[in-house]
Amino acid sequence: MASEDSLPVLKVLIIGPSGAGKSAYCDDQFDPESSTATIGIDFKMKKLAVRGKAFRLNIFDTAGQERFRTLSTSYYRGAQGVIVVYDISNRKSFLGMEKWIEEARSNASPDAVLYLVCHANPLPSSFSSSSYIAVSLILTTIASFKVGSKLDKVAAGGRAVSVEEGRAFAESQGAGFCEISSKTRENIKRPFVEVVDQIVQRPQLLSAATPASNSTALNLGSIGSGYASACPC
Amino acid sequence: MDSLGEETWDAVICGTGLQQSLLALALSRSNKRVLHLDPNDYYGEHEAAFSLQEAETWAAAHAENATAVAPAAGHGGLDSGNAAEEPKASSTGSEGEGTSHGEKPLGSEKTTADKSSLFINASVWKHPDAAARGLSFPRAYSLPLAPQIIHTRSKLLAQLVSSRAYRQVEFLAVGSFFVYDASASDSQAKLSRIPSSREDVFATRSIPARSKRSLIKFLKFVLDYDSEEQRPVWHELAEERLAEFLDTEFKLDANLRKYVLALTLTLDGHVTVKDGLATINRHLTSMGLFGPGFCAVYPKWGGTSEVAQVACRAGAVGGGIYMLDTRMNVNDTIADVNEISLNLSNGISVRATNLVTSQQEAAADSTTITRLVAVVDSPLPSLFEIIVEGAPTPAVAVIAFPSGSLPGIVEFNLDVPIYAFVHSSETGECPAGQSAIYLTTLSTPQATQRLAAALDALLKAVAAGSAEPATCLYKLQYEQSLSTRESLRTTRGKSSTFKFPSPSLSLALDDTGLDAVKDAWSLIMGDDADSDDTEYMVFQDREGVGDDNDDVYD
Repeated sequence: MASEDSLPVLKVLIIGPSGAGKSAYCDDQFDPESSTATIGIDFKMKKLAVRGKAFRLNIFDTAGQERFRTLSTSYYRGAQGVIVVYDISNRKSFLGMEKWIEEARSNASPDAVLYLVCHANPLPSSFSSSSYIAVSLILTTIASFKVGSKLDKVAAGGRAVSVEEGRAFAESQGAGFCEISSKTRENIKRPFVEVVDQIVQRPQLLSAATPASNSTALNLGSIGSGYASACPC
Repeated sequence: MDSLGEETWDAVICGTGLQQSLLALALSRSNKRVLHLDPNDYYGEHEAAFSLQEAETWAAAHAENATAVAPAAGHGGLDSGNAAEEPKASSTGSEGEGTSHGEKPLGSEKTTADKSSLFINASVWKHPDAAARGLSFPRAYSLPLAPQIIHTRSKLLAQLVSSRAYRQVEFLAVGSFFVYDASASDSQAKLSRIPSSREDVFATRSIPARSKRSLIKFLKFVLDYDSEEQRPVWHELAEERLAEFLDTEFKLDANLRKYVLALTLTLDGHVTVKDGLATINRHLTSMGLFGPGFCAVYPKWGGTSEVAQVACRAGAVGGGIYMLDTRMNVNDTIADVNEISLNLSNGISVRATNLVTSQQEAAADSTTITRLVAVVDSPLPSLFEIIVEGAPTPAVAVIAFPSGSLPGIVEFNLDVPIYAFVHSSETGECPAGQSAIYLTTLSTPQATQRLAAALDALLKAVAAGSAEPATCLYKLQYEQSLSTRESLRTTRGKSSTFKFPSPSLSLALDDTGLDAVKDAWSLIMGDDADSDDTEYMVFQDREGVGDDNDDVYD
């Protein structure tokens, strides 16, 4: 695999309504210590090789700005992939998908890959599905997240949106689709793999991802090291 | 939603202009509870960047002139022509214009906050054949209201780097500075590039040898003008005009004086020796700092608007709660002096220890500028050439029209310069094949005509006779004023209110605005603020890295 710095960097966003309103399920079972993992992270990095080519994914979640629909246009800049998440047990979250997809379409690059994800875990009120998935993707074990249900269980009781309905809607929007459980980790990486797979097939998206391909943007980071060295730490 | 009203917020910040947003960034690792509102449904307040549609909505909301917004204020009956040119939107006694977020009862939303008297006389013009000539869909544009270049020495860049926020912003190089000279013989020579370095001065053919020596002498002086050795040269003349100083002390000819004045970006042409030398020093010492051939940068997609958004996201990542399209009013009926009670327009009531807003009223003696934003149907490539080997392709060019340099309208007895920032499509502010031009001048009686003439002259000079000049597809024009220049701070018991001054009108980011941010931060942090300066805006990276690194899918 190529050295870390030379890997093409892909910006992938996870958006969707916040997990508010589902706190009754799981507040009591939720381990507050582990919740700190989701707060205060700018973005998550993940290396992924698809079709023999390695990529660095920078995965951005909504950082709570989904709650009152205050995601900024700058959040969408340069994103090659957008994963839109709804909650399997919350029909309203599914019905809101059209608006989220519209927002993603009008703010992200017109070529950006869209992917619809149905999420099967009830979340504590302080969580958005967006940050929950982003974090669970990068944790090897999430045993400390003692949330209640899983994909198979939800199907029995809490399912408010059928697989068929979800898939049909995704197709109508030209988006990929799958159902995931961040608890059982069922399908947890599939959206990322399929999004990258789609991005690979769109050269216009990839050209923006290769480091140093852009002659106009300045690398303030290398300049930044100058500032950093001035700092006593 | 209910939870928002339960606990007392350490700070409620109203407005998402650059200063309030940087404050949110500064507080983003502090464990302070921050609620950040904006009465507008977009980020950036007076420094926002707009799509064409947003620009039209904004222009409609700011179309009034000063007399129209203050009909009952007593001076509405003044000579209306004058009042329109020198807007003195009143800070007191104006019933018609709600100029403040805070002091209006809920229910009078129509007149609050989103209509500030800082911007007036806004209008939009579209080419009758715009679509056919290439004007793209509204969101293909991101036009900043108040674009500023950022010198590489600016503390803002140091703070963005030390706070790790810089990674979400793409910075582009500001390239050449040109001076427009109407008297030049052929049209190609009408835009002369200001040499950017010593070598450049020597290589420039248009400057006579003797002038070169004077200029080099001056440049050397400016580099350490504030040293003990050099200070006597100018100290007694500190408040004199720079142009005269350049003439008497350094024997710079009229042409070179124009170059030097252009670099100061002085709006009235009368910059003092003290301010002028400081600005030229900043320009020269910024040159090459981040790479060859440029002294300033510009954030892609709309300048400081983008920085504000990124700073707000950092605030959100740090736990701050964000609400746009939400106004707030101070509830004065609550007697507790240790808390400020606020009613939000969405029906929620919250309490805060500190309230931070920005001043929305133009000061009576405010300087006013007229801005013209134009989208043209050409990439104007000759303005974005790489001059120094190894330099990045610039995305911004600066053109100065010195006092009285426009042909045909000399009878207006002009004595103020005009500046044009030309942004290439690399800024993301317009589609490929087009450019966005931002012209600024002091609001004088013929400001509108002068800006139009400058735009026309610029496009003709760039076309250089070889082709048809570029066509203007879209224009947005407005006037912008200043509030009082001090931060306003009031403390009652344990609670405080802090009001930032309105954004500076200067065309290069002015670091003094950053000091006010730190003042507000110190106020909110109270005893938690470390007296050690290094703590402010110095953060570690906060990124999550997967521990199962190499996932391979075929």
